[in-house]
Amino acid sequence: MSTVDLESKIPNNVGLRDNKRLMRALERWQPAFIEWWKDMGPTDFNEHDVYLRTAVGVGKGGWAHFDYVKMPDYRWGIFLADGDPLRKIHFGDNIGDKIWDEVPGEFRNRLRRLIVTQGDTEPASVEQQRMLAHTAPSLADMRSLFQVNVEEGRHLWAMVYLLHSYFGADGRDEADAMLERHSGDPDSPRILEAFNEPIDTWLDFFCFTTFTDRDGKYQLAALAESAFDPLARSTQFMLNEEAYHMQTGENGIGRILHRTAELLKEGTDPKSVGAMPMDLIQKYLNFWVTRSMDLFGGEDSTNAAESFASGLKGRYREGDGIYKDPKALNVNYKLEVPEGMKMVEREVPLRRAMNALLLDAYVADCTRIVNRWNRDLEALEVEERVYLPSKRFNRNQGVYADAFFNPQGELISQEEFVKHEESWLPTHVDRDYVKSCMVVVREPGRYANWIAPHHQGVNETPLDFEYVKFH
Amino acid sequence: MNNKLVYVCDGGDCNEKGSGNLFTKLKVHFDEVDPHEKRIKIRRYPCFGGCEQGINITIWPDKVFYSLVKESDLPDIITHLEGESAPVTRLTGKVRPDVEEFLWQMLDSPY
Repeated sequence: MSTVDLESKIPNNVGLRDNKRLMRALERWQPAFIEWWKDMGPTDFNEHDVYLRTAVGVGKGGWAHFDYVKMPDYRWGIFLADGDPLRKIHFGDNIGDKIWDEVPGEFRNRLRRLIVTQGDTEPASVEQQRMLAHTAPSLADMRSLFQVNVEEGRHLWAMVYLLHSYFGADGRDEADAMLERHSGDPDSPRILEAFNEPIDTWLDFFCFTTFTDRDGKYQLAALAESAFDPLARSTQFMLNEEAYHMQTGENGIGRILHRTAELLKEGTDPKSVGAMPMDLIQKYLNFWVTRSMDLFGGEDSTNAAESFASGLKGRYREGDGIYKDPKALNVNYKLEVPEGMKMVEREVPLRRAMNALLLDAYVADCTRIVNRWNRDLEALEVEERVYLPSKRFNRNQGVYADAFFNPQGELISQEEFVKHEESWLPTHVDRDYVKSCMVVVREPGRYANWIAPHHQGVNETPLDFEYVKFH
Repeated sequence: MNNKLVYVCDGGDCNEKGSGNLFTKLKVHFDEVDPHEKRIKIRRYPCFGGCEQGINITIWPDKVFYSLVKESDLPDIITHLEGESAPVTRLTGKVRPDVEEFLWQMLDSPY
């Protein structure tokens, strides 16, 4: 098991003390990161004590510690999951070869692009959410937001460590650029478009953490299979933290639906009391699910094929051995694509369909979540249900981007789409209404009227725990 | 003993009920008897969606879906995994069939 150094200026289990050059480089980057946090992180809350989880190790006996901390003093560390000395490449063209402890020259650019793209999303989401705490529906939710934010900051550290350690001067430049690009900055925006718009309501935040962070989970899971061992181990550990982020979203939407169902059951129009109508929640789900699906990239992708063949990026849970052929050769993936006003089946070599396969795993996961929400609605004895929109609906990337589909995935005309668009996707009026519901609640244990309370507090704390201490 | 993939649910509800502890106990046991995972892999799984019946543990490709598992059930589950007994029927058939079928569909990848 690796040795954890918590006394170092940068907590780590990667032996920074033995690599003075790397330590100095990262210590030079650290003040810029703190400045970025103060300038671009959650506004106006840097002086308050927040009850936060901090990663302190990677062992089986618990990897996190809870305590009050002022966010700029958070101990952002570098942690890699423990390695397996016997691990071999387990998919693609090089099955059975030793995994890489260094970056092979021929894959340097591809790997760097993967790491930079992943890394860029981490600070981007913090920037997108920087105003949200001002309208937190409860102290517990405010704490959850800050937890997500500081851990996305730690994920940036994880990627910056890889860039500094394995990519020389280019990597250091890329690490600096992570702090120079900003979400929504017209001159220097974040790389992926979904990370360039502010998330200014909690309905958006919970949708983002349910669906967009879940895309992140699948990308990280694919990288966790990587033959480049430091990347695989880094992303494996990030997935521990990411699970909480997705749970925050899944439970958050579940609590909104629960509150709405309670109101419907007692015969109250949710809008009359500043809560969320069911059709409005569905519109937000439609928007965020489809926007998140776009992040998977094209269903037919030679880039994805090359990443798989070379061992850089595997399929979801590849290492569990659930796939028939770890080389993914001689099999085609069947894809239904639009051709004029009809759908035709097209076969794509499986390797080129790696993004589509990853998206399928994502859709299955999202279906499970929606089923769970609906079971709660059923238990509350209301008729309303929510649904997961088809992966064809409202897409801006991939094979469905140039055609029009309804949320059930049926091919329709553009006129038909335009006619119904306002009933499928949030309008300005909807967005203004949701914004009008956002009122801050800071009294411990109290909640805004549009959301049900948590079932229980984090780390076994009572629900009226003072998660954030204001001074 | 055939190759088996054992998933211990690590979703929010199962985790609160102590699935992490069950995972560790199974892992420690099989690290000892099958250190190179030649016959059995023990893995965490984010959530099966059978939250009300947690803690859930599944075995693939046998398609055994154990629910309401407690620490006291582990010896029987281990005996089953080691091929010395049939599945522990008091722990099966607890989740809705669609929840169970959903997982098998995902694991029975055509690829």
